[in-house]
Amino acid sequence: MTKHASVRAGRILDAQLHLLDRQVLDADRVPIAAVDDIELTDIASGDIAVGTEGPIIENLLSGPVLATRIFGGRPPASRWHRVPWGLITELGTAIRISAPGSDLDVTWVERWMRDHVIGRIPGGRHAPE
Amino acid sequence: MKRLFAVALGVLTAIGGFVDIGDMVTNAVVGSRFGMSLAWVVVVGVIGICVFANMSGRVAAVSGRATFEIIRERLGSRAGLANLGASFLINLMTMAAEIGGIALVLQLITGIGPLLWVPLAAFGVWIVVWRAKFSHLENATGMLGLSLIVFVVAVIMLGPDWGALARQALVPAVPSDEAPATYWYYAIALFGAAMTPYEVFFFSSGAVEEGWRRRDLGQARLNVLVGFPLGGFLSIAIAASAAIVLLPQAIDVTSLSQVALPVVQAGGTIAFCFLIVGMLAAFFGAALETTLSSGYTIAQYFGWSWGKFRAPAAASRFHVVMIVGLLAAIGILLTGVDPILVTEYSVVFSAVALPLTYIPILIVANDRDYMGRDVNGPVANAFGLVYLVIILVASIAAIPLMIVTGAGA
Repeated sequence: MTKHASVRAGRILDAQLHLLDRQVLDADRVPIAAVDDIELTDIASGDIAVGTEGPIIENLLSGPVLATRIFGGRPPASRWHRVPWGLITELGTAIRISAPGSDLDVTWVERWMRDHVIGRIPGGRHAPE
Repeated sequence: MKRLFAVALGVLTAIGGFVDIGDMVTNAVVGSRFGMSLAWVVVVGVIGICVFANMSGRVAAVSGRATFEIIRERLGSRAGLANLGASFLINLMTMAAEIGGIALVLQLITGIGPLLWVPLAAFGVWIVVWRAKFSHLENATGMLGLSLIVFVVAVIMLGPDWGALARQALVPAVPSDEAPATYWYYAIALFGAAMTPYEVFFFSSGAVEEGWRRRDLGQARLNVLVGFPLGGFLSIAIAASAAIVLLPQAIDVTSLSQVALPVVQAGGTIAFCFLIVGMLAAFFGAALETTLSSGYTIAQYFGWSWGKFRAPAAASRFHVVMIVGLLAAIGILLTGVDPILVTEYSVVFSAVALPLTYIPILIVANDRDYMGRDVNGPVANAFGLVYLVIILVASIAAIPLMIVTGAGA
């Protein structure tokens, strides 16, 4: 999938301004999550040698991590729902990715509610008339 | 008819803000106690909601982002969550009040107690949210709600002393038997009702539901300029009818039947029938507006899929939120609490939600990343800033005044 001009090497992004709390849309422009936090590659502790590569953003995070961002703490890594940085195709007023939302862990609650609650109520799978 | 339907979103939004059950009773209380001396507040409120609803509609049409998405994006997750909590409580209390209102009207017609009607009314709201197309629900409730024009007809038929009414409205003074604090408490209640946050949540999300784009900006403005002034006009008419009939006889407004009294006195059974249809449509419309708003705000804050243009299964959490909200509203009503009293306390929560809602709208309406060439002009910004000051003053004064006056007693 071709990437939008907003996704290019060398573009300077402010994580607070351009990433956090933005809406994420999947390949079909369906909203799937808001960016609750971001995951960086490990930063070496202690003295950092000259010439060391800086950390890079690996994933956008969503889900339970929102509660810890607001109230403090850190959820276990198994509870992190990730959107890999490489999937991003546009960084605009919303963030678009190239995968369908159903491929990602961030939408499991949505799918569970669909399969076990909403899809079972008569008329739940048809568009309104 | 088609042109009338084109402004249905604005009309339905305004009904929820100006003539839903809480506002209808508040307007009648104000008319019966203060005459027309608070009519100016409605005018101030109408201009304010026009300014900000137009901005939120423009942001939604140009950028595709509804109001609660930009609230979270600009305020961050914490302040956004504070606003979400306050807004959701206002929504929930208003939902409960409107469903209770539908039940009270059905009681007026059938004589069967309201508690039996509550689950039925809530089910009716849910089935419309579940199955009806957005355009159908806004057209039907918006147009039937226009029956409330019967208040205007009633005022004319009562043949009041127009000079005296105009003097009260144009040279406002606190009536001698009322404390100034009470006067200002009701001024803030009327202003807060006119600017209730769920109006912009509903209006901007409705713009996305209807698929408005940049080319529809004219239609957005028309919706704002027809809907809200009409809502304000109706609420002034309700106050006027109470000022003419109830004020001279010192009748206290404590229930819906006193609101209906001037209309019945002026127009008899036919006017009463119009009133019943109008009230049912207005309360049902307001119930839909607040139920959908509760789903919109939560889904937009957390970034979930939302909207009635999708099948419920494609926006499952959005629908679960609304179902849980309706069940909670039924729960509130089954405790036997007075639905009208419920809305009066939502003023307290409005105090938190008003500034946190309108500041991000003003900021994003000036952001070229979102708006391109359609950013605010100097006039919109001047109005926006003046109103932010009024909103801040009102929100700071709301709670102290509520305590001092015993909620306007």
